This record gives sequence, C-alpha cells and structure tokens, in this order.
Amino acid sequence: MAKQFELSDSSVVVVIGSGAGGGTLSNELARKGIDVVCLEAGPRLTLADVVNDPPTMDGKMGWHDKRIGNMVWVCKTVGGTTMRWSGVTPRIQDHEFKALSTYGQLDDNTTLIDWPLTLDELEPYYVKAEDKMGVSGTGDIPLSAETNNYKVMAAGAKQVGYKEFSSARMAINPVARAGRPGCQQISFCNSGCAIGAKWSTLYTEIPAAEITGHFELRTNSMAVKINHDNKGRVTGVVYADAEGTLHEQKARAVAVAGNVVETARVLLNSNSSMFPDGLANSSGQVGRNYMRHMFGVAFGLMPKPVNFHRGARQTGVIYDEQYHKPERGFAGGYEIQTIAVDPWNTSSITGGWGPENTVFTQNYTHLAGIFITGEDPPEAANRISLHPTERDGNGLPVPVIEYRDHANSAAMRDHSIKMTRAMYESLGATNFWGGDAPVGCHNMGVARMSTNPGDGVTNRWGQAHDIENLFVSDGSAFSTSAAGNPTLTIVALAIRQADHIAERMAQKSL
Amino acid sequence: MNDKQTTRRRLLITALAFSGAATTSMGTSFLGSAAAWAATPDDTENLAAMGRLAQLLFPHEGLADSVYGEVISEVLAMTVADPATEGLLVAAENALDAVHGEAWASLSESQQLSAMTALQDEAFFAGIREMVRFRLYYHPDVWMHIDYPGSSKEHGGYINRGFNDIAWLPEEN
Repeated sequence: MAKQFELSDSSVVVVIGSGAGGGTLSNELARKGIDVVCLEAGPRLTLADVVNDPPTMDGKMGWHDKRIGNMVWVCKTVGGTTMRWSGVTPRIQDHEFKALSTYGQLDDNTTLIDWPLTLDELEPYYVKAEDKMGVSGTGDIPLSAETNNYKVMAAGAKQVGYKEFSSARMAINPVARAGRPGCQQISFCNSGCAIGAKWSTLYTEIPAAEITGHFELRTNSMAVKINHDNKGRVTGVVYADAEGTLHEQKARAVAVAGNVVETARVLLNSNSSMFPDGLANSSGQVGRNYMRHMFGVAFGLMPKPVNFHRGARQTGVIYDEQYHKPERGFAGGYEIQTIAVDPWNTSSITGGWGPENTVFTQNYTHLAGIFITGEDPPEAANRISLHPTERDGNGLPVPVIEYRDHANSAAMRDHSIKMTRAMYESLGATNFWGGDAPVGCHNMGVARMSTNPGDGVTNRWGQAHDIENLFVSDGSAFSTSAAGNPTLTIVALAIRQADHIAERMAQKSL
Repeated sequence: MNDKQTTRRRLLITALAFSGAATTSMGTSFLGSAAAWAATPDDTENLAAMGRLAQLLFPHEGLADSVYGEVISEVLAMTVADPATEGLLVAAENALDAVHGEAWASLSESQQLSAMTALQDEAFFAGIREMVRFRLYYHPDVWMHIDYPGSSKEHGGYINRGFNDIAWLPEEN
C-alpha cells in the first residue's frame, strides 16, 4: 500500500521515531507532498495485539534495551509512547513560556530560560492539535464521562475549595469521531487502547500518512548514527534492521523524535572530526537540562467502594495549583489528575512490605487514586550521556540517565501531597499514601529550543542552531517543562515545524 | 532464557525501579550484587520457610497459605532461570537464620519479623520482595480475594458495568 523509497534517494526527509512527535511530523509533511521515510525501532502492532494486561503489554511494546541510571518508562513500537500514554492534554500556560522571566533563576544549579516562542504564537497549533487528537471539551467535542475515581477527586476538590476542575482535556473519544469509536471504559489505558478510542499515531497519523503516497514506515529499524558532509549538513541516517544489518538512508533533512533518551543518544553518537562532541552540540547542551516533571501519586483508602479499575485510567484535571504562587514556597505549579493502577502497581507504588503496604491492596476496591505532575526546573547536571565502554545489542553506547529532584520539586511535592491528603480525608479516607513516582514517562529538554545558541541546541522551530537541515521533534526541544503533560505540546510543535520545513523547502532554502 | 522468562526479568527490573528500590541503577545493581550468591546451590527444602517469608511480606488475611507456596515456587523458578539470581532463596534463608542464631522458620512471628526488619535494606531482600510482589499480585486467587476481576476488554469494558456507579459521595452531581 505504502510507497517505498530507495536508500540512495536523497530527496526524502528522514524522521526518527513514529510517536507523538515523529508520527505527527511525518503525516503533516506527507500531506503537503513531501516524501518521508520514518525509521521506527520497534515492531508494528495491531489493535488485535492489545490485551488488557499491563505486564503483557509492557513485554510487547516497552523499551527494554539496556540503560544505566534513572528509570525511563517509554515504548519501542510503532506509535511510540502514544500507545502507553493516558491521554491527558493540557496546554502550557502563558507564564510557563516565560519561565526565567517569571521565576528568576532559582539557584546556581538551575538553567531556566524563556521559550523562544509564546503562547499566542502556539495557540493556533494547539487548536489544530486538539482537533487532530480529539481532545474532550475542546471544539464541539463533549466532556469525558466522569468515572467513579474522577467523582471522588472532584468531590474532594470541592471540599478543599478548588474551583477549576473538569473531565475535559482527554485525547480519548467520549463519543465516536474521526473513524474511531467512543471510550468503552475498558481501563488501564497504559496497556494500549484495545479499541482505538485513545489517540495513538499507530492508527491515526501513520495510516493517514501512508495513503498520501509520500510516506514509508520502516519498522524494527534502529537509528544508529546521522551522517553529514564536509559543509556540516546532514546527509543520511545509518540504521540497524531487525537482523542488525546496517543501512544508510540518504536524506535531504533529518528530524529526530526518539523520546529524549534516544534523541540525545543518536546526536551524541554521531560525533565526527567536524563535530567531536556530537551533532548540534557546539553549545555542549545536547543531553543536558533533562527534565521529567515533579511527579507524585496519592492513594486514599475510602470508606466505601470506588472501583477505580473501572474506566479510563485518567479522566480529568484540577488546575487550581497550576499557577506561579511563590507564597506556597516554590516556583511554578502543578496539576492534580486521576490515576488508576492494577494491584501489582498499587503495591509497587506504595512500596515496602508488611501490613502498611498490604492494607492498600487488601482494600483494592476502596482505593481512589491521584497523579500529580508539576514543573521541574532544568539543571545542567541532569542529563543523558553515553557510557564510555558499555555497549548494547546493536553495538551502541548505553545511555546513562542522571536525574535528581531539585529542592523546588521536593517542596512542590510536599504541598501537593498535603492537599491531596486533605481532599481524601475530607471524604472520610481511613488510610492515605502519598509520595514520589519516579517513573520517567514525561521526558524533556535535552535538545532545547533557545534564543541564544549558547543556551540550547535548537531554535524556535526545533531546528538545530548548528545544522540547518537537522530538526528535533519530540519533548527534547522543550525549553522548560511547564506543569502539564507534554504530549499535546509535542504534537502542536510538530504541526508548526512541518509548516516551517515546507515553507523553507518551497523557498529552496532547505 | 525463553520469552516468558525474559519478560519476567524485565518486569522485575521495572518493579524495582518503579517502587524506588533501585533509584540510580534500574535494578542492575541488585542483579549485580545478587550474582555474588550465584555459587550457592538451590534446593527446595527451604520453600516452606520462604513461603512464610512471602506471607509476612504481604499478609492478606483469609488468603490460603497455599497461594504463598505457589508464589514462592514461581519465584524459585525465576531465580534458577537467571544466573544473576540463582541461589537467592537459599542465601536469604541462611541470612535470616543467622540473625537470631537459629532456624528462622522455627522462630515466633515477632522474631521472624525482627529478623526481616534487620535485613530489609539488603539487596537480596529487595530482590525477593519484588519477585514475590510481582508473582503474588498477578496470581488469580489474589485477584479474586481482593475483588479485582482482571481484564475487562472481553466484557465490553465498564461502560455499562458500573464505571460511574458511585453513590456515597456528598453533593452528588
């Protein structure tokens, strides 16, 4: 069905990764008539492969190549982590685009900057992204149905005086739309949506790109190195196929969207005599300023059943704490969202052993759950680097992931746990657990957009400061993390980037 | 290793990382440390004692002892399938026995618990704890015991089966 391009065809744009950034960029370019080869490291599943069981699906679609350091919870499959994500799609707030101006530098370790673009500029692309993804409560799309877990969260929110919360902003169809069905409340959306109600590029952007005749997806194709010529322009991507055989796909331009760890790795691994520290890295910022949000999880053991395993894993957001209110003792803000997890994950999150742990699983039907995501400040020392000697099955240097919570994040988490405890206890919770969730599913910053080339890796279009035909198209390009879930912004930026690439090509300047 | 064992090992690593038991090394430090025990031969005589350990780790009132026995047998299978964890259960029992200077299995519950507390920061303890956690909380009898029904896909999800049936909250909308 889909077009096939020759390896020697240097007119194509090569996109590395088929998730929120790469899948969207590929489709947007292909729809404009630009030829795209998309390299995806993982296999292509179908909806029939999706079972309602998190560990089975982790085996089918999780990224399990060797890594050292902090855990990162991402996918190696067509659709990338849009297969696993929960579908929460808030926009970044105006002041969050101006993080440095708003908060000031927090201390000698933080490396806050302002984004080289504003909310006003991104707003039309947010509208396009919301329409593309089918975000509930936007346009003419209804709110998401309120699950039991959401109703508990909303009732607790009222009790503590919160005003801004709703079951909107989920990229899960509340009703059938755009050829995909409405949500059946199957639960544990992170196993992948078995009916395709949740937006994933696997069954939206990728097939839409394929019918244009301008797109080829190559699965089980792991990008190893990006090549360049003696003028410093990128010329192709070397990748390993399923058998480990190396090929080079020639390219007019290359866009990298490997969900941060792989984006940093392929840039750093593409070092050469011209670029001894890796591609696009004259600033030394590739891999640095790694952000992954302040995360928290709260469980309330409620006096009567909740059955939070029934229905969409996440179904709504409380926004009251998303603002910058320094009187709380920290910079930036956070969002409070529902979450539901299976018994094993429940036990794992509360951690430890003995009756203190077991009380939560023993009373599984009475659990209510909350997920907290907040802004974390960038630090140069939080980074992805390459291990000097360890190699993986493809012979690639193993990525080393170093991340520590800033004191600002610890203070924010303490505040969020105090508030969520108050919410659940106001409704009669008999036990409460709240704490960190060091899971690493929101990855950002390692090739960030910056006005000053010395502060980052890419410009306001996600185009490398050093190499004009090299782009970054995933969360790596975020200048700062903002509070909310990153996927909507990744998609909006990819749509905007496609417009820019097409314009530059039309002007013959790319 | 076959695919299933590979998946189990991955899940163990995931479990360690997710629970914060291995915050800096994604579980590989545990596996590396455990390799030191690999010279110890496995035997099945300590399974009863280790079943008791599983029960004290995650004590569910009313859950049959046999479930903990099945879980620890599965954990044994996981450990012997991997050179990095082979011998772990025997090593664990030896360490538990050494705390009070007599067989851990014959101690009172409070002494058993104090021995566990004394060893809870050891890498092998975290390893066994996470393997037990994984096998126990995917055991069908445990799901039944805690009224978790498992996959809902084949039942059409919960759209017509109570996803929004809560009725005890104040100011019900």
